Amino acid sequence: MNPSAHHPGAGTDPAPESWKNDEAALLSMLEDIERKHGYIPHQIGDEISRLLEVKLDRLKRAQAKLETGIRRDVQQHVARWRGEEGNLIMILHAIQNQYGHVPREVAMELARELGVKLARIYEVITFYHYFKLQPPGKHNVTVCNGTACYLKGAAGLLGELRAQLGVGEGQTTPDREFHVDVVRCIGCCGMSPAIVCDGKTHGRVKPTDIAPILAGIRAQAKATEVKS
Amino acid sequence: MKPLTLQDLAVLAAQPSPAAAAFIRVQLDTGGIAAGAEETLAAFRDALAAANLAIPVQRVGSHGRSWADPVVEISAAGLPPILYGSVKTEVVPQIVAAHLQSRRLIDDHVIADARGAAAINAPVTHLLVRDTGAGEGKTEFFQFSFAEELKRRGFAEQVQTVRALDLGVYDEGVAVTLLPSGVTYTNVLAPDVARIVEQSVGARQVLDDLLWKKADPQVRIVLRNCGTVDPEELQDYLHRAQGYQGLRAALAKTPEQVIEEMKASGLRGRGGAGFPTWLKWNNTRIQKAEPRYIICNGDEGDPGAFMDRSVLESDPHSVLEGLMIGGYAIGAAVGYFYIRAEYPKAVERVERAIVQAREAGLLGTNILGTGFSFDAKIRLGAGAFVCGEETALIASIEGKRGSPSPRPPYPSVRGLWGQPTAINNVETLANIPAILQRGGAWYAGYGTETSKGTKVFAVTGKVKYAQLVEVPMGTTLRTIVFDVCGGVLEDKDIKAVQTGGPSGGVIPDKHLDTPIAYETLQQLGSIMGSGGMIVMDTTDSMVDVAKFFLKFCVDESCGKCAPCRIGGYQMLQVLDRISRGRGNAEDIAALRRICQAMQKASLCGLGQTAPNPVLSTLRYFDDEYKAYLEGGPSYARKMARAAAGGAEPARAAAPATATAD
Repeated sequence: MNPSAHHPGAGTDPAPESWKNDEAALLSMLEDIERKHGYIPHQIGDEISRLLEVKLDRLKRAQAKLETGIRRDVQQHVARWRGEEGNLIMILHAIQNQYGHVPREVAMELARELGVKLARIYEVITFYHYFKLQPPGKHNVTVCNGTACYLKGAAGLLGELRAQLGVGEGQTTPDREFHVDVVRCIGCCGMSPAIVCDGKTHGRVKPTDIAPILAGIRAQAKATEVKS
Repeated sequence: MKPLTLQDLAVLAAQPSPAAAAFIRVQLDTGGIAAGAEETLAAFRDALAAANLAIPVQRVGSHGRSWADPVVEISAAGLPPILYGSVKTEVVPQIVAAHLQSRRLIDDHVIADARGAAAINAPVTHLLVRDTGAGEGKTEFFQFSFAEELKRRGFAEQVQTVRALDLGVYDEGVAVTLLPSGVTYTNVLAPDVARIVEQSVGARQVLDDLLWKKADPQVRIVLRNCGTVDPEELQDYLHRAQGYQGLRAALAKTPEQVIEEMKASGLRGRGGAGFPTWLKWNNTRIQKAEPRYIICNGDEGDPGAFMDRSVLESDPHSVLEGLMIGGYAIGAAVGYFYIRAEYPKAVERVERAIVQAREAGLLGTNILGTGFSFDAKIRLGAGAFVCGEETALIASIEGKRGSPSPRPPYPSVRGLWGQPTAINNVETLANIPAILQRGGAWYAGYGTETSKGTKVFAVTGKVKYAQLVEVPMGTTLRTIVFDVCGGVLEDKDIKAVQTGGPSGGVIPDKHLDTPIAYETLQQLGSIMGSGGMIVMDTTDSMVDVAKFFLKFCVDESCGKCAPCRIGGYQMLQVLDRISRGRGNAEDIAALRRICQAMQKASLCGLGQTAPNPVLSTLRYFDDEYKAYLEGGPSYARKMARAAAGGAEPARAAAPATATAD
């Protein structure tokens, strides 16, 4: 039996990940019913398809809301820079400032809005290190690897971060709490080696300082959670 | 607000506002803020309010001493301006209580410049003491001796003895600076204590045999306002720093005369290549095509260089003024600032400067009623080193990938949107208002035959006092490292100085006495570059350093041309092999061959100069390469362990997993 028969339109939309679980749950429920009654009463089948339609409708509305949200944001950013030649990079900066990265849907919307090919936008995004396609972690730890920091032991700091968090350059911990990155130079060579944690710069860092810094971030996150 | 006129500026030039009698200036640039300068500023406001003192607390940019951040300058209570370093919040109440309320200085925070003073004209109020020799262990003993001697002679009430943080002299034994005159004695021995107190404090006589007579090697032209003006206030720049007087002088001349003045100054591009600025402007000006553009290159990507950031953050108006003068000279109506997105503070302050200048009628149409129209815009970089190259930078401003294109045509002929464009570095532009104000001949009075004026260097790495240094061209590297920055960290021996970032090379110890100029550095196999200067001590492996810089260039190669894309990668493979002790005899020759191919065939400066670190380390330290080749993997492992241990002794205690990969 094809479960999508209960789900009008499911064949055209790409099913989200969670739907796979729902699908399995629905199937097992139907099997239970079949075992119990020997067949599936048509009232149950009707009820399920009604519920699914309601749910799908709700989903569609949420999706449309999200899309208008994105469209509105993109239009705002484009309006700010309309009339300026070569505005793409500045718009991408605005988008990244807002979302923390450049999500695919936003890039697609931007392509529509500017009337350029999506490939051209991706060409720019992927060329520049500053633009990210993946969302950053909740907390970002950036290790400066400028020459001064390199000479004074940035590699040791990175090693200690790997020991503490289990991730290296450009990686995010599985719980998405910490993202570790390496940058060229943050211009604080006077206090090398330096790391930046959630916008706060720590100077003259020793590997032994890493654990307390991370503990501080965790404690602070907990404190704000409790507050809210 | 009423637009400024030429008369307004003339009045300001004739009668600048007198310096405030009392002030507290907190140096807030990125480095200072990272070290906690904002908290320090708030702490001063609180402490002053609590003590009922009405002294203005000002926000300024960085003076350049980034090793001492947060830095605060205080002029109050009838004392001369005193610079305090490492002013964390907990020090603030002490300073307020001591300095402001009882005219006493506190130990271990005072920074003084021991330069020039040779007469004691006023009663001595403070003795700043510091042992500048190796170990620096005798400071406390001499502080005690001076205090005892002063007490014995009955000066204890009037004269305070203070342990200084820095006296501006290094490796000269115990040094003593007398305030308020600034007379400094060096190599002071125990028997001299009584003489100094008796003759200098008592009779105001200068002891010639101890007197420090060397003049300050630094000349501040680019950094003239850094650390003294409020970078977020146009009025401060106008009233206290002769702001926009260079523009006024330029507008009184024809554009050709401005270019003539630049020619007389001999100013060459401070971005690294050293192309004469007047020629660049002239080449742009003689093009028939309109409109023309001028761009300020603030894409300071060299790791270890931070002078452009510091100037943009500390004195944005002077760069804007330079850009406007350039725009006037070449006939451009629009100027762009191209600034790294990694410098948010610089972007914020330049943005603010542009808004304020626009409000004051310094940007827009008919500026100062002269008919000159100009506007400035900001474009952000996005983390691509190659965008410092001018053709790539132009592509980036146009909103495209920052791929370089072959020159000629040069940007002065076909630049931004195919129009004639002049691109100048931040430091170059910051020089220009001063040159227009004081004349090209004055500027040409500094420097050497071919390299005129001053140059700012960011001295970092294994150096005691990492900071910005501005010296006339022709100063030696040794002067910069040892006389200005205090020598090598932990008193180790210096091995080499790296200049020019990833496009530069290393200059070994034996060549440190070479006077700095574009040509001399080139002869040594390095380049001037934008001014990053990294000091390396004897524990640093040159093979490793070459690998570090090459890896940078390989990562940053845009991939457009094959010599850079493939050659860089191949060289990195060879270097990696050597540094693991698995190189073979032909590797060195192979490196040289690839270097040559890259230098000759690469499209832009990135690829042409990427081999420089490899070539210059091969030139001066080929024995280190040979040691790796002969020593094999066991030697390589030993060196790797030494580097990890030398850089970070604590590393050994880290869990084994940290070193396993």
